[in-house]
Amino acid sequence: MAALFKNLVRNKVMLFMVLPGAIWFFFFSYLPLIGTVVAFKQYRFNREGFWASIVTSKWVGWDNFKFLFNGSDAYIITRNTLLYNIAFIVVGLVLSVAMAVLLSELVGKTLAKIYQTGMFLPYFLSWVIVGYFAFSFLSMDRGMVNQILGWFGVERVQWYSDPKYWPYILIFVNLWKAIGYNSVIYLASILGIDRSLYEAAMIDGASKRQQIFNITLPLLSPIIIIMTLLAVGRIFYADFGLFYQVPRDSGTLYSVTNVIDTYVYRGLKTTGEIGMSTAAGLYQSVVGFILVMISNFIVRRMDKDSALF
Amino acid sequence: MIKSRRSFSFVLAMLMAFVLVLSACGGSKNNAEGNSNEPAVEAPVNLIWYTIGTPQQDVDKVMEAVSKYTLEKINATITMKMVDWGDYPQKLQVNVASGEPMDIIFTASGGFDYVQNARKGAFMEMDDLLEKYGKGIKDTIDPAFLEGSKVDGHNYGIPANKELPQENVWRFNKNFVDKYNLDISSVRSLESLEPLLKTIKEKEPNVTAFGMDKNFLPNIPYDYVIQNLPMAVKLDTTDYKIVNILETPEMKQALTTMHKYYEAGYIAPEAATTGSTNDLTTSGNWFADMAQTQPLADNLWSASYGYPVVSTPASNSIINNNSVQGSIMAISANSEHPEKAMEFLNLLNTDPVLRNMVDSGIEGEHYKKIDDTHMENLPASKSYDMPSYSLGNNMLLYLNPNDQSDKWEQFKKFNAEGVDSPILSFNFDGTKVATEMAAVQNVKEQFWASLMTGTVDPDEYLPKAIEKFKEAGLDKVIAEAQTQLDAWRTANNK
Amino acid sequence: MAEVKRKIQDFHHVSRGWNIILNIIAAAFSFICIFPFLFVVIISLTDEKTLATDGYRVFPAKWSLEAYRFVFQSGDTLYRAYGVTILVTVIGTIFSLILMSLYAYAISRKSFRYRGFFSVFAIVTMLFNGGMIPTYMVVSQLMGLKDTLWALILPLAMNAFYIMILRTFYITSVPEAIIESGRIDGAGDFFIFLRIVLPLSLPGLATIGLFSTLGYWNDWFSALLYIDNPNLVPLQSMLMRIESSIQFIQNSKNSSLSMAALQTIPQDTTRMAMVVLATLPIIFAYPFFQRYFVQGLTLGAVKE
Repeated sequence: MAALFKNLVRNKVMLFMVLPGAIWFFFFSYLPLIGTVVAFKQYRFNREGFWASIVTSKWVGWDNFKFLFNGSDAYIITRNTLLYNIAFIVVGLVLSVAMAVLLSELVGKTLAKIYQTGMFLPYFLSWVIVGYFAFSFLSMDRGMVNQILGWFGVERVQWYSDPKYWPYILIFVNLWKAIGYNSVIYLASILGIDRSLYEAAMIDGASKRQQIFNITLPLLSPIIIIMTLLAVGRIFYADFGLFYQVPRDSGTLYSVTNVIDTYVYRGLKTTGEIGMSTAAGLYQSVVGFILVMISNFIVRRMDKDSALF
Repeated sequence: MIKSRRSFSFVLAMLMAFVLVLSACGGSKNNAEGNSNEPAVEAPVNLIWYTIGTPQQDVDKVMEAVSKYTLEKINATITMKMVDWGDYPQKLQVNVASGEPMDIIFTASGGFDYVQNARKGAFMEMDDLLEKYGKGIKDTIDPAFLEGSKVDGHNYGIPANKELPQENVWRFNKNFVDKYNLDISSVRSLESLEPLLKTIKEKEPNVTAFGMDKNFLPNIPYDYVIQNLPMAVKLDTTDYKIVNILETPEMKQALTTMHKYYEAGYIAPEAATTGSTNDLTTSGNWFADMAQTQPLADNLWSASYGYPVVSTPASNSIINNNSVQGSIMAISANSEHPEKAMEFLNLLNTDPVLRNMVDSGIEGEHYKKIDDTHMENLPASKSYDMPSYSLGNNMLLYLNPNDQSDKWEQFKKFNAEGVDSPILSFNFDGTKVATEMAAVQNVKEQFWASLMTGTVDPDEYLPKAIEKFKEAGLDKVIAEAQTQLDAWRTANNK
Repeated sequence: MAEVKRKIQDFHHVSRGWNIILNIIAAAFSFICIFPFLFVVIISLTDEKTLATDGYRVFPAKWSLEAYRFVFQSGDTLYRAYGVTILVTVIGTIFSLILMSLYAYAISRKSFRYRGFFSVFAIVTMLFNGGMIPTYMVVSQLMGLKDTLWALILPLAMNAFYIMILRTFYITSVPEAIIESGRIDGAGDFFIFLRIVLPLSLPGLATIGLFSTLGYWNDWFSALLYIDNPNLVPLQSMLMRIESSIQFIQNSKNSSLSMAALQTIPQDTTRMAMVVLATLPIIFAYPFFQRYFVQGLTLGAVKE
């Protein structure tokens, strides 16, 4: 007890720094977590309010989770969610880092600024609006892509009923939206690198390419690892808007567009069971948590400083 | 590791302590309120009313006037909270679940769903209240409304008195009908449309001959047990057998025709993913489509599109759960003043002064009366533009200057002509098969729109869909529904 | 000396040829990103009827300012929404930057005994969330923030994702030696943080500041849950209400509902005009924060 007190005193400044944030987390993140119990309940309203409803609702064990593993769709949604996220993580990482390096090397800084601002614009368009645009490009009779194909004498494509194109379209749209945002993190990191390292390298006669591969990328690796670890934690979550609005909820495309989030949304539209949607969220979180723990463990083994904790 | 575990248990302990404090607070508050209520019989009460629609600027102002009126009549004041269309289901779910104070809630199929939430306990069962304070309602509105909105034998809400049956019509853009001198009087079935569509396709290649969005559903003589799922009972059934509608010969035939139309180019190529046909109705580049009708609908459509629209029946006039549950006002389960709420609902559905005030605002400011039954909107009505259908008995409303004087008479006639669906007021409870329902719903979303709009060939996709539905557990859902339906039949002597 | 310096400067840059190629790549990608937004602007300026007839066109047959006229007709509501959004964004960004930079710094320091615990404490919040209703309970009933600006500011004040990024910035861009030397000079932890660590990690702070700003600007969900008072509705929430209402009506199979709702829903062009009005001001956020990417660097060089 005395030792604990001594430690607290010794760390008082740091504890003081953490305190406001920790209180925030407690109220806004941890306290609501009590509500997760609903995942094991058949939620029914009680006139006394939410907590009372939780208490009086019937326990149903794991029943609320069953719908996630029922039928042939269970495999498809799990596969789609996982594969898309892996693709987003890998391709997104490579392209965002490449874009950041590229922007940092541009000679004209004004132009670089304009490019960067431009790359941010997709972030402001909601998925609904993005969906409209995708349609104005891909629509069967009025879409620009089909018009262009027409000029070359290629037959029109029924984009919204042919699943084979969609993995590429979705990956493209996701990258289009995310690269500008993510590359800022890497760009800021690059600009934070000590310039004297480059100067020393130049005096040694290192080429630009060597500088990028031997200085920039190694020094970026901590942030790259953190970003990847954080992304792994959300690997069972899918961006609902991307998978619902962009393919216009077209049934014929479900084999490549149905993901956990869209499945849950469609499945609970009629019954609206809060317990089941909470169960789905809990399932996604737990899987993400386990995967983060594993990958963090591996990272720790290799480089203790880069791990999340 | 040990250290962090210790701190974790510390956090847990704090959490628990917090919950205790929380629940203690909640409990005591409620008790206090409960006590203060009982003796104060004469004090006026305030009723909180949640309703759907884009929030209007003058709501508070009008409610002040309304309150003045209701204070005199039933010793209650009204606070109206409008929640925008798209936010309504989500916001109401949160508010109801968290026990926000509320007395009257608008609910509808597709709004904040009536049956579903009645079963979950969001609304107060009102059989007794209706008996005691709702006499006016019982006398005024069509009894089929109250009968059809029962859930498990009890009333949980007051439906708005308006068009009762559901009747589909073929609508035509009259400009084209006249231009090519087409005869629409002979059109009734889906098949009978063909010659007309063909003419338009040939003469006007840029016009969408048969307009539709992804919600299109061909008419066949069945009533759906749940609107969104392929379980249905034949309208002239005697044995009340629930079938998979995709397996019926009628559906097969309709879908084959639809596919033929699609192939012929009468239907827009992207109909299966089209959310709305607004652009067609705005531009006038369409010839025919299907819509639900009500008396004088042709005038309404023509006026809002800016060109003449004519229609001809496409189905019989059927009274089913969906048509009855289009707009309901319920009393919240946590209402502190259910009796007053019922008194208010009774007044709203019987008193023209109150009903018109709620609908059009303050006389002389938002509207002016022309004669006993007609009124005209004033410029200020822009700040108080309410959706009439959601606010109670429509047949008390004053008419617009260009409305026919016998408008409500026509509605009454229209309602009287409707035929009850055999399963009117049977509401399936999917709780026991919730897992299967989720899977079935996903399969439905996957196949439905492309089949119904004729986008895919039913010879190939119908068996595929049926197979997938089976896999998802539709048979189990149907069996459960059949059990419930049989029990309902016995209970209701059908 | 001057000769050497020039040579180094030259080396610093990629060659002319490469510079052109890189410029082309960057320009092409940013064009792809800008184009849809330009398209939004064009549609917002298209005549409503022309839009219905022709669909989306880069060069519409008939232009019109009607959509903007319609939006500005609402007058007060729009200006007030701007006011709310700007206020919330500015206060929120400052507030969350303070909270997060302190928290992230503490867990970046090896000398902090509880850094492991507080790192996990943050990360868990990123993976698990209690859901909409419990959060609503805490914010509106426990804290009583409903219909206050705080309900728009507080729920977004902390973000574990940003904290972890910030922590990495501290670790990589502030050399341990500098902190140690500060300590030897007798500076306290707090002084070191303010005077040495913060200036050195400006690019990181600017990045997170930018993200916070965008996050607050784009947030509509808090308003959906916590704001009933029409005077406190932010811009994005106005826009989202329109969009979600349209979706709702399209998916609704309730005919009387659709009929009633259709009349009150704004047209396509009006929505696009709203998108333009809601997005234009925030475009300048990026250049604002980007200045600090460079400043942090020069300050750092001076300290060295």
